[in-house]
Amino acid sequence: MAHGTPVLSLKRPLTVSKARVEPVADSDRAWARLVYAYAASAATWLVFGTLVGLYISFKFAAPDIEHVPWLSYGRLRPVHTNSVFWGWGTLALLAGALYVVPRTSHRRLHSYGLAWVSLGLIDLAVVVGDVLLMAGINNGGQEYREFVWPVQAVFAAGVVLLAYNLARTIAGRGIEEIYISNWYIMGGFLWTIPLVVFAYLPFYQQNAIAETVVQGYYMHMGVGMWFTPIALGLTYYSLPKLLNKPIYSYSLGVLAFWTQMLFYTMIGAHHFIFAPTPWWIQTVAVIFSVGMVITLAAGTGNFLLTMRGSGRAIARSYSLPFILAGTVSYFLFSAQGSLEALRSLQGVWHFTNYTVGHSHLTMYGFVTLLVWGSLYGLLPRLTGREPPQLWVGVHFWFAVVGLALYGGALSVGGTLQGLSWMSGVPFIESVKQMASFWLWRAVGGTLMFLSHLVFAYNVWRMRPAAVAAGEARADVALEEAAA
Amino acid sequence: MSFHKDHWLLFSVTCFGFVGLSLIIGILPAKWVQDNAVPLPGMQPLTALEKQGLGVYVGEGCVACHTQQVRPLEMDAAFGRPSVPGDYAYVTPLGPWAPYAPAVLGSQRTGPDLTNAGRRQPSEVWQYLHLYDPRAVVPDSVMPAYPWLFDVVASAPEGATVVPVPAPYAPAEGVVVPNERGEALVAYLLSLKQAPLEAGDEHATAAGGSAANGADGLGAHAGGTR
Repeated sequence: MAHGTPVLSLKRPLTVSKARVEPVADSDRAWARLVYAYAASAATWLVFGTLVGLYISFKFAAPDIEHVPWLSYGRLRPVHTNSVFWGWGTLALLAGALYVVPRTSHRRLHSYGLAWVSLGLIDLAVVVGDVLLMAGINNGGQEYREFVWPVQAVFAAGVVLLAYNLARTIAGRGIEEIYISNWYIMGGFLWTIPLVVFAYLPFYQQNAIAETVVQGYYMHMGVGMWFTPIALGLTYYSLPKLLNKPIYSYSLGVLAFWTQMLFYTMIGAHHFIFAPTPWWIQTVAVIFSVGMVITLAAGTGNFLLTMRGSGRAIARSYSLPFILAGTVSYFLFSAQGSLEALRSLQGVWHFTNYTVGHSHLTMYGFVTLLVWGSLYGLLPRLTGREPPQLWVGVHFWFAVVGLALYGGALSVGGTLQGLSWMSGVPFIESVKQMASFWLWRAVGGTLMFLSHLVFAYNVWRMRPAAVAAGEARADVALEEAAA
Repeated sequence: MSFHKDHWLLFSVTCFGFVGLSLIIGILPAKWVQDNAVPLPGMQPLTALEKQGLGVYVGEGCVACHTQQVRPLEMDAAFGRPSVPGDYAYVTPLGPWAPYAPAVLGSQRTGPDLTNAGRRQPSEVWQYLHLYDPRAVVPDSVMPAYPWLFDVVASAPEGATVVPVPAPYAPAEGVVVPNERGEALVAYLLSLKQAPLEAGDEHATAAGGSAANGADGLGAHAGGTR
């Protein structure tokens, strides 16, 4: 089954052959098509969303590259963020969830038809929302809720239908225990649905300070109560599955789950430290931001202790390196987030590009790398087709090196920006000294974008085989590392 | 009864626990701030044109790079006095598609804070020039140009402001005049001026409305500068 040996040879001087997936024997073609459609849709949004992001990063070096209103920086920036959030990140995580929830529940998904409707609604919402943003129609400029409410209602309908679909699947599970992955995945839905409702109800957002209180609450949770729990939920399945050993500690997973809800919900106001919002919610945010270290240590410790002693298996796998890098990023850059919440450090970093670097180090270094690990690890088991190993390697290194350049440039540049403001020199000096850092950001962004083209190609190579290897076997006879 | 086995228990505690925390940290504080926000003495509501300009400001995504909040930190002193809740009392929803107050406070300072833009650059002509091509007035600026807020016409209509664009940036023929959206945006930018806040004035200190809000807003700033 293994092709070649995991050692360097004259014929392959730079690469080693990685382990291949067992032949798929239990694939359900309707299921494979559904999960693949989510993954392919996600990959399309990733390429589009990061193309937009890359383009506007060039505008820092060449602001007069064109003067088309629909392509102006202020309009395209939310197109970038919303496309990668609600198009790429969301659909990629949902692709994973649609695999993991039925698998760990030992049954078929409640309804394939409903899941297709959800995909259509989410795609429709992001397309229409993006077009409206480019036309200059938005919800009032709030980050991550720039889509006007009718568009977000379509998005929410898709998410609510899918939540119902997955909840029914779990409710009718074929085993007694609810596996920890499903806690996190359902947590993502059950936290994000009320969050979106609260964020879009207008009654308590009628002046700018009240709106800012809600915005801090929303923008923070939109990231950390949606992407974080589902990415962790997928990893709680993929990691033990791919290593073929149980998760280190179930209890640590439970601890991290409840502290995620108790602590993370309270810390949104740290995005508006020193703003004229009520001081007590800022203080609460700082305190619980530090408390998040418990959640972080429990989550990453659990993953790393599961990986302990399996270095060789990770090196032999093309999907596990993504999960290892994502886990390390989760710890490092979420801890960075806790530090940033401290008032003394906010003084330097608030409003600077440092925060842009941080959001990429987390959303990309943590969430996106974990999702890629799960997709590369799980999709071939469903579709019966593996991605070309060389191109997975190219994807990994371009993405990681690109992110390091991106994050490094903005972290250093952003710090200098803050110090420039503190020194009292004219504001334009902080713009001038950013020029070289913005250039390096664009270089890193280019590598990241190229890696996404490679990823899209790899997704194409993982498309479901015309004839599945075996008939549908919903009872799932495969051994469950988790169970 | 166990979270591991009873899915409805797990789902309910997860969902309603979050809803409860949300009320405490998000919704009720927002409602309370809203109910207690009163304009500072001496503040004027936005005119219809300025409000339209706020709409342009939001639609073009100016908030992606500009803040409108002065923090109680030394480095922010150049932009004005520390902001208080009352400063934003007239920033209200733009319409049925955006029934929320626009997020003018912002989160990035790729460009400078605009809290006192109207005081710092009170010249209408400067604002027009800067929007037509920022590099015409600030050579190192990376701000986008907004030529679509202007018309290039053969001769300026009666009463229109001709933007004196210098040669390298001017169109080959005709003169540049702001269109309606351009005029609205500049009217809005020029309206950005902090109202005075008399020190020791009981009413001004309670800018957020109640004494308690003052403590959280203004009094907090004293704490922040320590």
